[in-house]
Parts: sequence; structure tokens; C-alpha cells
Amino acid sequence: MVGFLVSEAFRDLRRAGRVALSAILLITLALAALGAFWIVTSNLGHAVARWRDRVRIVVYLRHEPDAAALASLMARVKAVPGVAGTTYVSRADALASLKRVLGKDASVVDQIGQNPLSASIELTPSADASTPEAAREMLARLGAMPEVEEVAGSADWVERLSEWQRLLGMIGLGVGGILGLAAILTVTTATTLVLHARRHETEIMRLVGAPEIAVRMPLLLQGMIQGLLGALLAVAVLTVAYRLAAPHLEPLMSLTLGLGEFSFLPPAGLAALIGAGTLLGALGGWLARAGR
Amino acid sequence: MIELQGVWKTFSVGPVRVHALSDVSFRISRGEFVILTGTSGAGKTTLLRVLYGAERPTEGEVEVLGRDVPSLGRSEVAALRRSLGVVFQDAKLLPARTVYDNIAFVLRALGTPRSQITARVFDALRKVGLSSRAQAYPAQLSQGEAQRAALARAIVRKPPILLADEPTGNLDEGMATEIHDVIKDIWTSGTTVILATHQAGLAAVLKRRTLVLERGRLIKDQG
Ligand SMILES: Nc1ncnc2c1ncn2[C@@H]1O[C@H](COP(=O)(O)OP(=O)(O)O)[C@@H](O)[C@H]1O
Ligand SMILES: [Mg+2]
Repeated sequence: MVGFLVSEAFRDLRRAGRVALSAILLITLALAALGAFWIVTSNLGHAVARWRDRVRIVVYLRHEPDAAALASLMARVKAVPGVAGTTYVSRADALASLKRVLGKDASVVDQIGQNPLSASIELTPSADASTPEAAREMLARLGAMPEVEEVAGSADWVERLSEWQRLLGMIGLGVGGILGLAAILTVTTATTLVLHARRHETEIMRLVGAPEIAVRMPLLLQGMIQGLLGALLAVAVLTVAYRLAAPHLEPLMSLTLGLGEFSFLPPAGLAALIGAGTLLGALGGWLARAGR
Repeated sequence: MIELQGVWKTFSVGPVRVHALSDVSFRISRGEFVILTGTSGAGKTTLLRVLYGAERPTEGEVEVLGRDVPSLGRSEVAALRRSLGVVFQDAKLLPARTVYDNIAFVLRALGTPRSQITARVFDALRKVGLSSRAQAYPAQLSQGEAQRAALARAIVRKPPILLADEPTGNLDEGMATEIHDVIKDIWTSGTTVILATHQAGLAAVLKRRTLVLERGRLIKDQG
């Protein structure tokens, strides 16, 4: 029975001919676009995550606070939206780390006599501060605290990058969505043609009392096959494009974003694309059927 | 085996109501050969459609093979039809498939095991005398051959009842006689047959029980 249903589905697909072919190509386009944007945004996402970890904002203090003042200051700093991690660096700590950096020349520092360094707080921004507005707001709040002398470092460009990532993600979804819709409509058209071409088979099946599933399944299956073929083609297109483009993109990526490798979709992502294609096709097939 | 009791079928076309069947009652036993006749528009096709569940009577009782047909749901109608063979004036063969594939199509759609298909298709083709044309396409068949293929498809599952709606309407006299001989053979092997025809002469020739319809009424039941 399964063999019969599948062979009928393929026969229908051949009969839908050029329309089925355009449906398959549209699904390919939709999923390839979706996949390409997905690859780009996930790589940007990696870059953003890596840079966000590395970004340090240093808040220099006017005076070294005493223990009580420090506790209250730290509490207020931590309360600023967008602040993830805080590390207090006292003047002595700062001097010690300076000495460590200077190594054998550390004696230079001793000759100064008095410690010239300020106490500071090192911050790591959180993902909350990922919009430029939020980052700016965070920096302004920190700068406005009376104890603060100066705020150094800015997460602005990382945040802009993450902004880009999200924008590209939206565009990808939009383009993929529109193409996906066109694909569904084309599958529906192809299936409607199949429905017409198949009317004699349907009539005979009903007449001899074939179970409803045998009557309807080929239609759904041919839609799913269109979707599956389109998705497999899209995966092939993406793979080839990646193989060709990655060697050229990687140097660029490492230069601009410090990202060593330009990664492809994970197996789960590819499986999701193939599943989405099959679902698109099934939906198209089902919509045509529901129309009667 | 088949029993109708006070069956009415009324079609409404706009404001006009047509009584395709008016208070029709009869009973057909297992193994009978019944000719259903009457002029065009008398209600023969409607009556057969009521029997295989394609038309629900407006009123009355219809029992086929122990089933109360008007009350059957979609899947139960399908189950009933698996016990009925139906042929029409038009052979309704699938043009892109050979005679063999047309008949195998039915078996495959009904889930017959692959290993049995070839034997059963050829068995059916032998009964209608069409074994040599198994690989021909419908367009290559004469009308008589096409009707034989349709008969083979109708009996391939050995249904207890064969319904034939004007099966020789398209055929010249010689071919019609051949088809009637094939239908008689099918009947002889134990199948109950109802043959609808508007050719009144045929009823006389076949010498079987004849039901005569006139404007939806059963006006004669003889033989
Ligand atoms: N689906 C339908 N809608 C309206 N009228 C119908 C329909 N089917 C049959 N009729 C009418 O019912 C009557 C009987 O038709 P039919 O059963 O086809 O007669 P026959 O087969 O004896 O020629 C005719 O008057 C026909 O016009
Ligand atoms: Mg008729």
C-alpha cells in the first residue's frame, strides 16, 4: 500500500510538471535565503558574544572609598541596568598589577614614592545593554555618580554589531517568509493541477471503495515530496556556497571581527530546514485539498 | 440481497422538483439477473446510484447485502462498494495506463498483496476474453474491448453484485451482444446482476426478469 501511495504521488508530480518544478525551486529559494541569513547572523552572534565578554568598562574613582562607602557604591553600580560583572580594583591592587606588568623595571614605581594610581571598578556589560541606547544610558548613569571621576571604554560598536545581527535576522525571516508564502501558493497551484489531473483516479477509487487515505494520501505526499526536494536542493546550494565562500570570508572575518572561523549551520539546523521544507510542501498539498 | 421499500428521490432544480424515483419497492435475491429498463430520464441511473450509496434517497428504505444503505457513513459506503462491481456506458479507463495497470490499480488501491495482483488481473481478463490486450492502452482499444476491460476491473475482486448502467449504450449491435454474453458469463459464475438499459428490445432478447421504470415509477416487474 505504501509503495502504491508513493508511486501514485510521483506520477502526480510528473503530471504537475513545470508547476511542480517551480514550486520546488521556490522552496529552494526560500530555504536557501533563510539558511544564508541564518548562517550570517549566527556568525555575527558568535562575534558579538565573544566581544561582549572581552569588553571592559573601567570606572575610575575620585577617591579610594572606605569599606562602608565601597559597599554602598558597589551596590549602586551593580544596580545600573546593563552591568553584569564588577570587580573592584583598589589603588594598591592597581599598583601591584602595574608592578607585575613592569616586571624587573618595577623599582621605577618605588621611586615615585606615592601611589599615583586611582581606585577603579571594572565592569562587564550584560546582554541587556545590547542596544546602543541602553549602553549609552548605562555609561551616562555611571558617569553621573559623585564618586566617579571618569568612565573609560565603550561597548558601542559591539552593540552596533549586535544591532546588525538582529536586523539581518529580521530581514532573513522576512525574505524567507515571503518566499515561503510564495512557495506554499505554488505548491497549492501544483496540487490543484494534480487534483484535476487525478480526478479520474479519484473517481475510480471512490467507486471501488478505496479507503479515504488511499484517495487523499498521494496528494499530500506529492506536496511533501516537492517540499523535501526543494529543501534538499537548498541544503546543497548552501553547502556549495559555503565551501566556495568560506575560504575568502574567513580572513576578512578574522581581520574585522576577530572571528577565526566562519561556521556553517549545525546538523540540527540543516534538519530543521529540511523539516520546514517538507512541512511547507505538505501545507501546500493540504491547502489545495481543503479547497474542495 | 437487495431490497427497496417505498423509495423516493426528489431533485430540486431551482423551483422545479423532479421525482427521479417515486415510491419504488422491489426485492432481488442472490443469483438473479435483473434488467432495469425504461426510457431516458425514467430514473434507472438514479436507482443504481441509490444502490451503491452515491445518492441518498429522499425517503424509503434501501438494503443491500444486509446493510441499511441510506444510513451509512463515508467509510461504510466505501466498504459496501468493495462488494459491488459497477460499470457505465463510458468505460472510465485511466488513459495513461495499460489495461493491466487499470485493473491492477484497483487492487493496489485496496491494498491487495503484490504477489496476488498479476494472477488476479489475468484471471479477470480471461473471464472477459481480453487476456491478449493486457498491455494495450485504452486509446488502442475498440469500444467493445474498452467495455470488457471495465468489466474486468469491476469483477476483479469477485464482488457478489454487478451493477451495469447502459454498458452497451455506445456499442453497435454485434459488440453489444458480445458484452451481454460476457455479463451473462459473469452471472452464470454466481454474481447477481442488475443491468440498466433504455433499449426495450434488449429485455425481450435476454429473457430475464425485467423492471420497467416510467418517470420514476416502477410500472412493471415481470419474468
Ligand atoms: N443530480 C440531479 N439533479 C437534478 N436532476 C437530476 C439529477 N440526476 C437525475 N436527475 C433527473 O432525474 C430524472 C431521472 O434521471 P436518470 O436517473 O438519469 O434517468 P435514466 O438513467 O433512466 O435516464 C431525470 O429527469 C433527470 O433529469
Ligand atoms: Mg441513465
